[in-house]
Amino acid sequence: MAPNDPSKEVLPDQITTPGDLNRLIRELDDLDEYLNQAALRSAQEPSRLPQTSKALEELAALNSLQLLKADDRATFKDLLAKIKQQAPTIHFGFASAPSLTFLSKLVSWLRTNIHPQILIRVGLEPSIIGGCIVRTTNKQFDFTLRKHFVGKHDLLVKALSGREEPS
Amino acid sequence: MNNRWILVIIGILVLIAVAIIFYAMTAKKKPSKHTAKDTYEDQAKKDVEHIFNDDFRQELRNRGRLYFEKIINENAMFLQQDLRMTTSQLNEYMKKEITDKLQEEFVKYEQTIRDANQVALDSIAKSNTALETETQTLSAQLMEQFNNEKARLIKRFEENMAEIVNYYVVSAIGSQVDLNDQLSFIISDLQANKDEIVKDINNGA
Repeated sequence: MAPNDPSKEVLPDQITTPGDLNRLIRELDDLDEYLNQAALRSAQEPSRLPQTSKALEELAALNSLQLLKADDRATFKDLLAKIKQQAPTIHFGFASAPSLTFLSKLVSWLRTNIHPQILIRVGLEPSIIGGCIVRTTNKQFDFTLRKHFVGKHDLLVKALSGREEPS
Repeated sequence: MNNRWILVIIGILVLIAVAIIFYAMTAKKKPSKHTAKDTYEDQAKKDVEHIFNDDFRQELRNRGRLYFEKIINENAMFLQQDLRMTTSQLNEYMKKEITDKLQEEFVKYEQTIRDANQVALDSIAKSNTALETETQTLSAQLMEQFNNEKARLIKRFEENMAEIVNYYVVSAIGSQVDLNDQLSFIISDLQANKDEIVKDINNGA
């Protein structure tokens, strides 16, 4: 049975950004178009299914949907459209481009603790050196190394003046 | 009345004229008696002129001159002695007066000098006291400013030193730290702000 509440569905960790979701939607549209055209052809004509991405297959499997069934594909498309419309997006600014593994781990934590369908946008801000800057809809959180050092300013001053031994 | 008086006066005048004529006529009748007497007188006059001749008169004048010169010399000597004595007394008096006056002036001068010296000493003492007070005040102000400036410099040094160390550490390790190594650090920060992020996402437009 196809799920009706998109917020209860989970996205695979490979789908991290709105771009990934858009690519997934386009891929599903292409697959649906191909299969619809293939259904119009005669059964004797050989047909070769296009190769689907691992993310699409994993997402379909997670939601118990079969891509070869037209109804499931329609449900899948509706589900993706709703996710695209309703999924919250959070922006991360890093000093360098993060790896897919890093993004997968980060998205996994976010979907476990923040929202199950959250998507992230990644930006580059070399000036922050380390850490990241997180921007939600209305707020900004500075998790940079510079901010961390500024917070430890008094400790550094004490260590420099010899009043407190650095740990 | 008037005629009577005029007649009286005329009569008196006539009488006086008759008396005068009578006296003149009687005087002319006695010339012999007076001639001998005149001779004696003339002879006496001649003897006198013979005694008091020009030599004798010259001698008298010389004597008078000498006597006058003597008197003059004596008086001059007395006058000179008096003058010397007066001069000596005057000198003594002048010396005494000048000495007294000078001593009095010197006493006044010394008193003035002592007063001026005392005033100068008092002024110097006051100046020293004021200068010492001013020096202490200035020293206190300088010390306070010095301590403030020292504290300000130390504070600024600590702040700048912390900034320098921060910049150095960030610059040194910024390019060396991998994002994968920062994941735990980022997740811990996310965990610390989890509630706020969730609230903002759920309430966000």
